[in-house]
Amino acid sequence: MTLVEGYFHGAHAGAGGLANGRAPTRGKVVPGTVPEQDAADERPLIELRQISKTFGAVKALQDLEVSIRPGELVTVVGPSGCGKSTLFNILAGLEEPDPGNILRLKGVSSTASDLLGKVSFMPQRDLLLPWRNVIDNAILALEVEGMPRAEARRLAMDMLPEFGLAGFEAQYPNQLSGGMRQRVALMRTFLFKRDLMLLDEPFGALDALTRTMMQRWLLDVWQKHKRTVLFITHDVDEAIFLGDRVLVMTARPGRIKLEQAVDLPRPRKADIVTSPEFIALKKTLLEAIEEESMKSFQVAGR
Amino acid sequence: MSGAASVAGNLPVASTGRFGAVVKPIVWLVAAVVLVEAIVVVFGIRSYYLPRPSVIASTIMATPGAYLAGLWRTFLETVLGFVAGSLFGVVMAVVFHRWVLLREMFFPLFVVSQTIPVIAFGAVVVLWFGNTLLAKAVISFYISFLPVTVNTLLGFSAVDPRQVQLMRSFGADDAQILRRLYLPAALPQLFVALKLASSLALVGAIVGEWFGDTTGLGVLLLQAMYNENVAGIWATIVVSACLGMGLYGVVAFAERRIVFWGGEQ
Repeated sequence: MTLVEGYFHGAHAGAGGLANGRAPTRGKVVPGTVPEQDAADERPLIELRQISKTFGAVKALQDLEVSIRPGELVTVVGPSGCGKSTLFNILAGLEEPDPGNILRLKGVSSTASDLLGKVSFMPQRDLLLPWRNVIDNAILALEVEGMPRAEARRLAMDMLPEFGLAGFEAQYPNQLSGGMRQRVALMRTFLFKRDLMLLDEPFGALDALTRTMMQRWLLDVWQKHKRTVLFITHDVDEAIFLGDRVLVMTARPGRIKLEQAVDLPRPRKADIVTSPEFIALKKTLLEAIEEESMKSFQVAGR
Repeated sequence: MSGAASVAGNLPVASTGRFGAVVKPIVWLVAAVVLVEAIVVVFGIRSYYLPRPSVIASTIMATPGAYLAGLWRTFLETVLGFVAGSLFGVVMAVVFHRWVLLREMFFPLFVVSQTIPVIAFGAVVVLWFGNTLLAKAVISFYISFLPVTVNTLLGFSAVDPRQVQLMRSFGADDAQILRRLYLPAALPQLFVALKLASSLALVGAIVGEWFGDTTGLGVLLLQAMYNENVAGIWATIVVSACLGMGLYGVVAFAERRIVFWGGEQ
């Protein structure tokens, strides 16, 4: 598995110039700098190697390798049941991979549980608390961190317009549409400022129209806040439209089958999905996914 | 029929219109009272079996002080037992939720404790605490905590594990997850139990008074029974019912205010 190293989106992450695996990167300061562990200087924010995870007889992941550079938006697609959620749970610190793995956060080897509270995680369902209004749902993570409520609410109030929720701060989740609930959940994730954001099919439950709106909106917000994002999806269009790189996972046990750089210029307009470059990417990715889907289908059918 | 209606018109319960929101149930209540009055009169039911509601009302009005004093005393016993039982019930639910080993060891004991008839238990309590208000409150407590524990545990178990994971990913510790997630999530279930416990606590207080006391609705009931004062028995039943409905109403009102989101998860 070779990383696609030629491509790096220079507009963010503060890593000027092309990131070449060997070339030393100048002027790159990671806050709270940790001692260099190896010679590789284009240090990924997070690096997973030889990650396997077995649940009883089921091997969910096998020798998975992922590395994400700061400021990247990486999307993950794969057939259902390929272990995407397991990967997410490991990155969120909720599950420990099988022994013998390598997991480095900013170059420091860590266990998955070290990642607890270091990654902002947004699960598939919005999981809003029905007894909290929009603003109080959004500040849940800040409250857990110990920020005074008044201060957290002020921060959140400032973000409301950007998330299309201005004027809705006092509404309760059962008064909101699916798209709005999802935006509240995203806002909660954004307010929990961490180096890595994990989004697990955040728009999966939305209708197609709302979903495209949300994708464009997410790109805007992401470009403004310059966050590193790992985004899981079923939707190839979504994966290409959003991602700097698209990772295709194999059928179970999950590995990275294909790593496809998406070299479409940013900011991306909605009509980019009809451009020949987009179509070509989609073709490559769909073929890879198709192959894996057939595999998992055959396994299931046996 | 018209005669019965005019009698019902003189009843003190007929004061409708004081609370706009509760007019409807009061109208129904008055209608029911009138109906009972009519049935008793029309079928000539002997007052030994069922006195006319108007007679019951006039019995209360003959010695309102005794009924008020009894009501107040029983109210105190009930509320004391109910509040203590509810708090203890919730605390035990938290303990059993947090320490599964403790639940496995002691939860069966909790259930067994409730199979001991409260009457048998009551004699011991009076021996321990004497003929005090506390003794009755203890019986109320004893009879009301288990539904609270059981339902709170039920509410805890209904919490979406993904919600817990989300809180963990925010770095929340157990106390934060309990306060911000489990306890609020269990509120709808908890209130179902609190409504039940409020009625049970009243039963506990009245039964407790039977073991010896000088005031209280249970005492009035016993006295009326020994004197074969049927109207007195019914008068006490009516006052007890009012107390029970009042307690239930307060809990239900609190429920509507606190659990405004309903059972939605």
